Amino acid sequence: MTVSGRSVEVRGLHKNYGPHLAVRDVSFHLQPGEFLTLLGPSGSGKTTTLMMVAGFEAPDRGEILVAGQDVAGLPPERRNFGVVFQGYALFPHMSVLENVAFPLRMRGLPGAEQRRRAGEMLEKVGLSAFAGRQPRQLSGGQQQRVALARALVFEPDALLLDEPLGALDRKLRESLQQEIKAIQRRVGISILFVTHDQDEAMGMSDRIAVMAEGRLVQLGSPAEVYLHPRTPFVAGFLGETNFLTGSFCGVADGLAVLRFADGSLGRARLPDGVAVPEQGGKALLSVRPERLRLLPDGPVAGVVESCTFLGRHARYVVQALGQSLALSTTEWSPGAALPAGAAVRLGWAAEDAQLLDG
Amino acid sequence: MAATPHRLPLLWLLLPAGLLYGGLALYPLAGMLQMSLTEGWGHYAEVTQGRLLWRAATNTVAISLTTTAIALLLGYVLAAGLWRCGPATRALLLAFIMLPFWTAVLVKNFAWAALLQDNGVVNGLLQWAGLTTAPVTLLHNRLAVIIGMVHYVLPYAVFPIYTAMRGIDLRVERAARSLGAGTLALFWTVLLPLTMPGVLSAGLLAFIVSAGFYVTPVVLGSPSDMMVSNLVSYYVHELVDFNAAAALAMLILAAITPVIVLQQFASRGQHGGG
Repeated sequence: MTVSGRSVEVRGLHKNYGPHLAVRDVSFHLQPGEFLTLLGPSGSGKTTTLMMVAGFEAPDRGEILVAGQDVAGLPPERRNFGVVFQGYALFPHMSVLENVAFPLRMRGLPGAEQRRRAGEMLEKVGLSAFAGRQPRQLSGGQQQRVALARALVFEPDALLLDEPLGALDRKLRESLQQEIKAIQRRVGISILFVTHDQDEAMGMSDRIAVMAEGRLVQLGSPAEVYLHPRTPFVAGFLGETNFLTGSFCGVADGLAVLRFADGSLGRARLPDGVAVPEQGGKALLSVRPERLRLLPDGPVAGVVESCTFLGRHARYVVQALGQSLALSTTEWSPGAALPAGAAVRLGWAAEDAQLLDG
Repeated sequence: MAATPHRLPLLWLLLPAGLLYGGLALYPLAGMLQMSLTEGWGHYAEVTQGRLLWRAATNTVAISLTTTAIALLLGYVLAAGLWRCGPATRALLLAFIMLPFWTAVLVKNFAWAALLQDNGVVNGLLQWAGLTTAPVTLLHNRLAVIIGMVHYVLPYAVFPIYTAMRGIDLRVERAARSLGAGTLALFWTVLLPLTMPGVLSAGLLAFIVSAGFYVTPVVLGSPSDMMVSNLVSYYVHELVDFNAAAALAMLILAAITPVIVLQQFASRGQHGGG
């Protein structure tokens, strides 16, 4: 089976709950065959956005286009999306095979055809042996695969997944993440995925749309949003980061130059679209712990507060620029660990620091 | 301290309930069983002879089944209303459902008698609307008995169904819609099957309650609507034959017990299945 996924374009979506703005002016374009994740904390509007695309919530304003056709006025049963819900939402009174055949039955296919296609789909997710079981006789991971099979069997325009792995333990999550990716590659379906888990978003997505307080704050590839966050929220939500405040000195060679409180100078990338502060104005930059380095001739002086060995890397906390900075390094050995109180010098490559929208 | 004394006090706690149940239910029941057997199976032969029991039994089954069917239909609609409406409407609906539940059966029956009599409100409305010129006989027939019984039995039908509906995960309903189920298909393929345990439990409960009716056939029905409980009363009051009445009561108990057992299983299955 090859589903040619279709594009889903959302334009200027708005939704109010009473006086509370749940979703404000959200726009994105899910390309055919693309995996796009809406990532954000709870209350950021990501699930509401997904439910509007699925048709369970009516937007106050905005358009939802599937391959150019507006579907915003259609009820959910007449939109052609495969939805996978948190907690799977399998029909408890139907067997696994009947669950997977359900959308085909709703489309009026003959019984034999329903069973044949549902059986094929179950084979694809490796559950042929469980066709006659009831959903409650399956493990969480197996139920999740049945939900996926049921959402894919009718060759939908796109898959919409609402925190589908939320209830599973970490090992199982990781294997199911791989499985969802593998199925997507095999059938070429477009996927709109909702999660609050940044690792899940980073590992699965072609692009990530970071949401906060009802707004889409940044949209880009996992590398773009991680390496080049635009706002303090994005920088802090995806992974860990150090925020440094200084006064803006100007732009040199396309890089922003900042002066810190202790008089030292630092340079940072100036991403497109970030408002350039005025000369002498307050500027905020973000440096990831793994990009902050101990350099013998670094521009910033600091004192080691603590050092923790975490296996994959070692983590230093260094007192510098009047605050505690986190620094992680893989160049660590039991003999060479710096003790607390050791004087060090820090630095970073200019392209590893980001000027943020204050 | 040994481990066993821990259990004993718990059993003692059951004593008041045990005494109450034993003294007020089991002991009189045993007395009735004894009365019914004073002449061996003679009293049983007496009450099963002739057409009187057959007539009362078929009446009971027919009236109870009709009442149950109507109560289930109305109960399903009411339960669905309770399930889907807002909290304010739900409070109002609940009050209207519970009011007859808390009202004495005699009060309800005489209220219906007043409404249904020849110069009652219902006939007045029918004539005012021009649907009829002379009063329609609405009282002292089977229709009146069924109206009175449905009114009484309705809460017993509503709540098991409502409980089953509340157990349905909104996401299951949404999943069905996203997979292509319109409103009717959603009802037939998902909502009705998932509420069936509640409907079964409600139906059995309504039937059990209906089969035991005694006052309503007397107040609202005609002598030809006599039910089995009325027959017991006939043996006690008209024939003053307590032993035959006891034998009859034992037969009724034996007939309804399997339905009660079934109902217990159904309502238990409802809690386990959600």
